[in-house]
Amino acid sequence: MKRRTFLKLAGMGSLSFAAGCSDPQKSIYSLVEAPDDMVVGNATWYASTCRECPAGCGILAKNREGRVIKLEGNPLHPINIGTICMRGQAALQALYNPDRIRTPLLKQGGAWRPISFKAAQRLIMSKTGEAAQKGRNRVRMVTDTPGDSIYQLMNGALGRWNSGRAVVFEPFAYESLRKANEDVFSVDRLISYRMEDADVLVAFGADFLETWLSPVEYARKFKEMHAFRNGDKGVFMAVGPYMSLTGANADAWLPCRPGGETAIVLGLIGEALQNGRGTGVRDFVRDIIQRAAEPYSRARVMEVSGLSPSQYDSLKERLFSARRPLVLGTGTGDTGGNSFQTNMAVNLLNAVLDPKLAQFDFESRQRVEMASRRSEILALFAELTEGAADVLMIHNVDPVFQLPPGSGARAAMERDALFVVSFSNFMDDTSRLADLIFPTRMPLESWDEYEGKKGFVSMLQPAIGQLTDAPQIGDVLLNTAFTEDKPAGSYKSYLMARLIQAGLIQDERTWLEALRTGGVTSGSGDSATKWFIPYTVSDAFHSVADPVTQELVFIGMPSIRFFDGRGANRPWLVEIPDPITKVAWQTPLLVHPETVSAKGLEQGDVVKIQSKQGSIEAPVYESETVTPGVLAMSIGQGHGTYGRYAENQGINPVSLFPPDAEPRFGGPRFFIHPVSMHRTGHRTDLAHTDGSRIQHGRKIALSTSLENAQSGQRDPGGGLTMWDFPITLPLPEGYDRKRDFYPVIEYENYRWSMVVDLDRCIGCGACSAGCYAENNLGVVGEKQVLNGREMSWLRVERYHDPEQMEKITFLPMMCQHCDNAPCEAVCPVYAPHHSAEGLNNQIYNRCIGTRFCGQNCPYKVRRFNWFTWQWPKPMHLQLNPDVTVRSKGVMEKCSFCIQRIKAARNAAKNENRQIRDGEIVPACVQTCPTTALVFGNLMDPNSRVRRLVEDARAYQVMGYLNTKPAVIYLKKVVHEI
Amino acid sequence: MALTFASIDQTVLDTLKPGGKNYWAMILLVFLGLMGGVACWAYQIFVGIGVAGMNNPIHWGTYLINFVFWVGIAHSGTLISAILHLFRAGWRNPIARAAETMTVFAVCTAGLFPFIHLGRVWMVYYMLPFPNQRTLWPNFQSPLMFDVVAISTYLTVSSLFWYTGMLPDLAIIRDRATGLRKKIFTVLAMGWTGEHEVWRHYIRIYLFFAALATPLVISVHSVVSWDFALGIAPGWHTTIFAPYFVAGAIHSGLAMVLTLMIPLRKIFHYEKIITVKVLEAVAKTIIFTGLIVGYAYATEFFIAWYSHNEVEISVFKWRAVGNYRVGFWIMVTCNTIAPLLFFIKKVRTSLVWLFGISILVNIGMWFERFVIIITSVGHDFIPHAWGLYAPTVIEFGIMIGAFCLFFLLYLLFVKHLPSVSMTEMKETLEEGGGHGG
Repeated sequence: MKRRTFLKLAGMGSLSFAAGCSDPQKSIYSLVEAPDDMVVGNATWYASTCRECPAGCGILAKNREGRVIKLEGNPLHPINIGTICMRGQAALQALYNPDRIRTPLLKQGGAWRPISFKAAQRLIMSKTGEAAQKGRNRVRMVTDTPGDSIYQLMNGALGRWNSGRAVVFEPFAYESLRKANEDVFSVDRLISYRMEDADVLVAFGADFLETWLSPVEYARKFKEMHAFRNGDKGVFMAVGPYMSLTGANADAWLPCRPGGETAIVLGLIGEALQNGRGTGVRDFVRDIIQRAAEPYSRARVMEVSGLSPSQYDSLKERLFSARRPLVLGTGTGDTGGNSFQTNMAVNLLNAVLDPKLAQFDFESRQRVEMASRRSEILALFAELTEGAADVLMIHNVDPVFQLPPGSGARAAMERDALFVVSFSNFMDDTSRLADLIFPTRMPLESWDEYEGKKGFVSMLQPAIGQLTDAPQIGDVLLNTAFTEDKPAGSYKSYLMARLIQAGLIQDERTWLEALRTGGVTSGSGDSATKWFIPYTVSDAFHSVADPVTQELVFIGMPSIRFFDGRGANRPWLVEIPDPITKVAWQTPLLVHPETVSAKGLEQGDVVKIQSKQGSIEAPVYESETVTPGVLAMSIGQGHGTYGRYAENQGINPVSLFPPDAEPRFGGPRFFIHPVSMHRTGHRTDLAHTDGSRIQHGRKIALSTSLENAQSGQRDPGGGLTMWDFPITLPLPEGYDRKRDFYPVIEYENYRWSMVVDLDRCIGCGACSAGCYAENNLGVVGEKQVLNGREMSWLRVERYHDPEQMEKITFLPMMCQHCDNAPCEAVCPVYAPHHSAEGLNNQIYNRCIGTRFCGQNCPYKVRRFNWFTWQWPKPMHLQLNPDVTVRSKGVMEKCSFCIQRIKAARNAAKNENRQIRDGEIVPACVQTCPTTALVFGNLMDPNSRVRRLVEDARAYQVMGYLNTKPAVIYLKKVVHEI
Repeated sequence: MALTFASIDQTVLDTLKPGGKNYWAMILLVFLGLMGGVACWAYQIFVGIGVAGMNNPIHWGTYLINFVFWVGIAHSGTLISAILHLFRAGWRNPIARAAETMTVFAVCTAGLFPFIHLGRVWMVYYMLPFPNQRTLWPNFQSPLMFDVVAISTYLTVSSLFWYTGMLPDLAIIRDRATGLRKKIFTVLAMGWTGEHEVWRHYIRIYLFFAALATPLVISVHSVVSWDFALGIAPGWHTTIFAPYFVAGAIHSGLAMVLTLMIPLRKIFHYEKIITVKVLEAVAKTIIFTGLIVGYAYATEFFIAWYSHNEVEISVFKWRAVGNYRVGFWIMVTCNTIAPLLFFIKKVRTSLVWLFGISILVNIGMWFERFVIIITSVGHDFIPHAWGLYAPTVIEFGIMIGAFCLFFLLYLLFVKHLPSVSMTEMKETLEEGGGHGG
């Protein structure tokens, strides 16, 4: 071989080796003709409405180069004022879900055959036409809570098909609350509450931070009354058989027997009347109430509810001394049998304590009130099973999953003569039994309006071009039900015409304005409230069932992550752990430690729970957040089929519940007893992300009493140990020759910092979801979570108080951007790099993966890419183009959303000014419903962070390590109850 | 029959006769083991480091455990050949060569692990201070950079020392070899003539090398210990680490010497050269290092308690009674209690006991590194982030591959190079002490 040939070959060899090790080149295409409002590199924001639950929060969809990449709350929207929950964040993952059905599927001979949208519409036309000719009501429709316009159109279409109105099915339809409102206030409605005005709040199960009515709105209002401000904070007490996230945020959670709440409320009413309260209530009404409360003496209340005298007394004392008390009833589901009576008693108690009902807002009503009662749903399916109709249309609901077995949904669907059309984008448990699956556009691709709460009609507009060829449900109805005399050419023009007709908009200009701002204010609802105390009130209380004293009661808890189950195929929601158990991907069974040891079980043991309806097998999770004897499980997982993230993932507790509705209020029961629990002999490793439930006496998540907070007393700070180490700001002033060896780091204009107010944090995890969305975090799956490899840059740590395990403090933990960062010194290649503005930057390209930084980080916030994480198509369209997608072998962590800092700096530079306070809003800060997080410049003496770090509650997590963290925490303020 | 110059030569040269079937079968076996390890590593590079069991918070696993383990093994070779040479400990002569060889191969094996450990091994050249346009330098503050320097220095010096010491022996082989073998050994012997002047230079340079290598014995493992001691994690951040690690390294190295010498002695009929007295001397040293290590364990616990530092106390409690308590008690038993048996004369003169306890100490020292590396970060400052770790099949494959690499090199060595220094043995006969000086 010649020397030259050798060199050539050697060169080629090393080149191909080098090329083989890096990713193949990907082509970048640019748009030849970009749409008018698209500037490459600039985001376009479209106001729309979140439809992940019936609350209807306003959102802004961030569109970059034609793809929606992030959802944020619409600051102009009256419900959520700029924030959304984790379910809202994850709405994108429904849109981009890899298991989304792209074309209609027709079931033929047990197999699915794709057909065209045209053919599917023709099929609907012919089926409905035939049915309409057979007689009245041969076509039925079941939908989730619709906006007015689409509901009208649905009913119009059904009318064409010679049928009645569409049935609105919501698994959480608050039947007992509506019935109680009807019986006490004579409004069969779901009213809203001025929680922010209350000074003492008591909830008998209402999980208003998770699913109840309008969780984002109530989270905000709750913290308006409950956060420490101006030297005071409101009191919140929660009563119930299990804690829930809402109970975890209470100043005291008073555990009671399932169904024992009624006795407590009636007992309180009795004592209130004795104390001379309720003078504003008309005499005859008071008499009735008094008679109802009479049997509930103090002793009887204790005996029945299982509450301790001291708990009862503190509840009474706090409530009676309140100036503006507000009592809320039961939660989304009936978890103990007396849900209706409790709600009724709660309404009466409110009236007795405050006859003006100042905290009640009868005008702003929740749209979900239009949902049919469970009894009506069951009746519908019973009719269908008997052959009452020929065509059933199902829109956006999954009754086969959401209703207990034996409720008739499955039986009805399985009837051959019933042609079932499922307007669904997913092969869920219901669609699987349908004859035709007709995917329609998702809310983020649609024109529509939705009035989640009376008073503001929120707009929906497409925030992205179409991912599939699917039409909107409105257009399908227009095309199939109407032939020559269509009310409009398209649903969009139908919608506009209707809004004009309703006087909400006047012309194109006001229409555009409504789209821009997110909606228009509408008239308030009728507020006619009458005191209507029929003699049935006392009857109601005669039928109060004794609380469940059976050994074991099984309860289903509505889930902040999955709501009624619709969120189970959104990978972020499955990956982000449950706020209380910190278990991801799985559905554990919460059992009190006493019960666990009484049954000879251990955490992780798989038990079989048997009710009359059936049985499930689930791993035991020991938790003090349930009362002894209660077996509690989150609702939402355990789908038979719902895409790769939901299928056979977790367990569905609903399958144990009785199929019938409670006769008195027509609602479902989310509990059952008796149940039996047996060990199966198997064990499951729980995919929990926490290493310990308590903080082992360390300076991590601190709280302080109200008195201390009021006195503004600071921690001592002269020493070098964990508890007397001073607060050391990441500024020159934080350095002291006595403690510091290395020179001071000087900054010129900015030193970025974050303040986390633990008193405001409710632990909901919205921040974490926002971070997943903004920063392209990988979803690792159950197996890797078990291996401890979840990628969340921001985790919400949950610490129980070891002395009172039912007391919980939440602490959002992210990169602390230390001034004296342990990670920076140990990297051999300077991949963690201290920026001129104090940020601890991670240079992905420089990282070689020694993982020394991760070892040395005392906060353990660094995340390593153990593999190259996957975004199955079209999930990759959601990726934020401003943030690098990391590949295997590099370390990553919270960057304080450096891309947003950069954007703000560019904007400031263009205008030749400094960055203003509040101009930079990291994703977590942006979405926090309770504004627990504040970001800003510590160098600016007037910035909010600078002022907040002067607070006496300010401290640094493990500050004694002298890392000088730039994340400053404010202690949680607790009432001593 | 007493040892003579001729019998020493003969015994040693006999070991260099072509190996039999058994020998090549063993070579094949360890080669396959090595290939298994290579395959595991290739798979890991291709798929991602996640095929190993590490996680957050335990970012370091068996790769660094094995790294420290092999660096530790590498220590007693130089200790025996250099420090004991300076101290004129005559008993070292029969085992010096074998121990030094062990050092060189152990450093080679250890040196692989940081590479295996890296998330992006293909970017490892970022650690080199090469001139580049962006004027990016490695971070000399990082203990990992210290490691790079320390380990490469140690490898260079110990290889040169090993080779220098072998020169006269290579010449002996050259003089008796024929054919190709002669040619090779002629090159290797570097023109050794055996003149008085050559010997004079040789003895000087050997002494200087010994003096140069001595501080390295102390420094290299001190530097390795700073990988941990300069970290902030509880259980790592202590001043005792450098001497503690050096003692531990020598402890494990001496044990490994016994593990290697006893079979070698048997197979190659070295009974007259490597006498039980020599092995006994090693065993006595092991008692000493074992006691130092035991003292270090006790000190760590004492200081944790004395510090009143909640985090520190918690880590040490967890070590003793937590999830990895088995590893901890293996460490304590094997490293400090088992060597105490060497106080008994019968034990330290019995080959079976010597071999058995040496294996125990090896296991114990592996677990010492496991306990240090895993339990500190697994249970550090933020309880919410605590975690557990277990090695995976891939890690075991690589670990076995590393052992196979070491034994492959060693097996090749004993059949191709003199595993006992003929020169030094002859000096022992003459003077009853070390050569030169």
